[in-house]
Amino acid sequence: MNDYRYDYRTVQGFILSAMFWGVVGILLGLLISVQLWAPAANFAPYLTYGRLRPVHTNGLIFGLGVGAIFGLFYYITMRLCKRPLLFPRLARVQLWLFNAGIVAAAVSLLLGQTQSLEYAELEWPLDLAIVVLWVMLAVNVFGTILKRREEQMYVSLWYIVATVITIAILYVVNNLAVPVSLGKSYPLFAGVNSANVQWWYGHNAVGFLLTTPILAMFYYFLPKSTGLPIYSHRLSIVAFWSLIFAYLWTGAHHLVYTPLPDWIQTLAIVFTMFLIAPSWGSVVNGYYTVGQDWTRMRSNYLTKFFILGITFYGLQTVQGPTQGLRVVSQLIHFTDWVPGHVHMGTMGWVTMIICASIYYVVPRINGTELYSEKLANVHFWLVLVGQLLFSITMWITGIRQGWMWKATDEAGKLEYTFMDGVIGNYPYWHTRTLAGIIFAAGMVVFVYNVLMTIRKGRAAQAAAGSAPTTVAA
Amino acid sequence: MSESSIYRKPVAFAALATVVVLAGTIATMAYPMLRPELHPKVEGLKPLSPLELAGRDVYQREGCVNCHTQTVRPLKSEVVRYKGNRAPEPSGQYSLAGEFAYDHPFLWGSKRTGPDLAFEGWIKPSKDWHYAHFEDPQKVVPRSNMPKYAFLRRNALEAAKVQASMRGLRTLGVPYTDADLAAVPAVVEGKTELDALVAYTVSLGKAVNRAAAGGGEVDLEAPNPFATDVAAIAKGKALFDANACSACHGDEAQGQEGVAPNLIDDRFLGASPDLPDAAYFAMIKGGSDAKKALGRPGVPDGGMAAFGGDLSDDDIWAIVAWLRNQKAHEAAEGHPGGH
Repeated sequence: MNDYRYDYRTVQGFILSAMFWGVVGILLGLLISVQLWAPAANFAPYLTYGRLRPVHTNGLIFGLGVGAIFGLFYYITMRLCKRPLLFPRLARVQLWLFNAGIVAAAVSLLLGQTQSLEYAELEWPLDLAIVVLWVMLAVNVFGTILKRREEQMYVSLWYIVATVITIAILYVVNNLAVPVSLGKSYPLFAGVNSANVQWWYGHNAVGFLLTTPILAMFYYFLPKSTGLPIYSHRLSIVAFWSLIFAYLWTGAHHLVYTPLPDWIQTLAIVFTMFLIAPSWGSVVNGYYTVGQDWTRMRSNYLTKFFILGITFYGLQTVQGPTQGLRVVSQLIHFTDWVPGHVHMGTMGWVTMIICASIYYVVPRINGTELYSEKLANVHFWLVLVGQLLFSITMWITGIRQGWMWKATDEAGKLEYTFMDGVIGNYPYWHTRTLAGIIFAAGMVVFVYNVLMTIRKGRAAQAAAGSAPTTVAA
Repeated sequence: MSESSIYRKPVAFAALATVVVLAGTIATMAYPMLRPELHPKVEGLKPLSPLELAGRDVYQREGCVNCHTQTVRPLKSEVVRYKGNRAPEPSGQYSLAGEFAYDHPFLWGSKRTGPDLAFEGWIKPSKDWHYAHFEDPQKVVPRSNMPKYAFLRRNALEAAKVQASMRGLRTLGVPYTDADLAAVPAVVEGKTELDALVAYTVSLGKAVNRAAAGGGEVDLEAPNPFATDVAAIAKGKALFDANACSACHGDEAQGQEGVAPNLIDDRFLGASPDLPDAAYFAMIKGGSDAKKALGRPGVPDGGMAAFGGDLSDDDIWAIVAWLRNQKAHEAAEGHPGGH
């Protein structure tokens, strides 16, 4: 049992790092939300919206998201392989490199070093660092799986393997570039081809950093938390293969009505519609799993995190494909609808499941119970309200804005100037900041609760007067 | 689950997963790259000049792509909004794949917190406007949420950096010659990042002709058919507002210091005396190109856009009628605007 102790400390290191970068990313989100309605809140040159927004998105995707992925992948892999990590020291080095990398990434973005590719902003030296980090992950995950002590690979391991492979392919191809200095490079691809490669990457970064890893967590921690087995193994199989197959065809739905050839757009739209099926395969599986005993919603505080999380995943994967349709895209594309959509996925699905997984893991690796279920409930309601207020506000203003851009009179003249649309956004942008504050408050409660749980574990161990022992889950 | 199940064989499983994710990757990303339709080039496409390229680097560095798109979609209202409808060729009304052949990377963006800039070189050719706007956006567009970029004026361009960028792009196939590289120090001498950014901004969309029909010959004797028509004067004011003339020339056509001239004083294109109605008509219809026909140079790179494609002759005369009425008012009240 003590074999795990060192590895669990690394897992906890990743979890705490992810939480730290998560809070930083969310606070930056608040600042840029203010900048949208108060231009005086821009502090040139380093703290303008244009430089800060990538710090917000990268901080949350790579800091919170990837940090949680590293930590929780290791936890899940160890449990499902019934053995410690194959290279525990490598994982510890990875933890330090990860944090150093995030700091360097944030600094480089504030300095304006960017490839201008969404979610691939980081310049080539940091790209290399990310490749090294990902190879470290791959070596440990695959090595541990190969030396596993449980023959069958559970669903979560499928998603972990698919994540590790696909992100490697995506990241390397989209970041191919010719460096001209330490902080500046020009991507290999140009124009319409550059757009096509970028959105093949961009959409699948969402797919394989913010969907498949979260599904790996969902399939592991939902049954663990509730004590209910996954409803259908066959449905898990069908959903897995069809999801990872269909995802890679869909990137061009981000380029509807652009100069990209129509056939690529249409192919992407068709596969995007198809993608509803495997997504809902997991949604249905989640519902039917808890459906075996709905009273868990009341008796187990974590159940509602998972059910609400998967519900937002379900909504996200219907809304997303709808947006891909040309008739919808022409109205809402480029408007505030889009951040509304993205934040339902990130605040509602990704963060909800990551937090629930952390709530499950941290007490176990510290040999204690959660510090306060009551605070966990407060956290739940704050983030739920914050996220709904955020997304709904943005959907409304997005439709309003798209409609104002389109409105013409009988003679074909435009009814509104661009500024009319911007001015109409202000009340909604104020509301979004309020929503962000509510959400951030919820996340602060979460962080407090987790830190107090760790402290409680330490205190209990000290009181027991023995060397800390680790309880296997 | 049989003994031979793939879920017990991690290597086989990983191999199969790789094949499955490569299917869509090859079909929609790798294969299209091999087709010429992903590498189109409009006829006569030129790479950005060194100054414009330096501006593009600043545009990237400041993250302008986070708020501005650079692609006009083939939608009616969008074509009208971004003045694509002025283009003589129907295909020039919206963004064309071949315009972006030298864009490493593309900068189409994904969000319009500010307007699309794909045709900015045609819509707002006025460098003066852009200088004023970058330095203090709210001074020119009162409720804009754009940050101020005045600090760019303090940053001098470095020839070596621009040359490094050009060399990097040349390895990727952008046709910069040795002569282009050699010319850089002279071109960027004394120039700031703001100069570069403005140069880049007014270069956008210029690879395709999207100019409005020009004013043609100017007959200064031509009378304004609506000179005293009260309804036309009111319509002229409405058109002045609707076409955002006030964005440069001020709400009451009194001009904005350093942006665009007063239209209701006793001067025309910076010189006295004022010219007759037909000169105003020619400038609105044909933009700065009409200056030659009028024999007055005005400011060197005058940025008056041509409205001949948007407005009928009657509409333009109505605007001139309103300007004249406005001038008469100012004179009667004894305080000519602006000065």
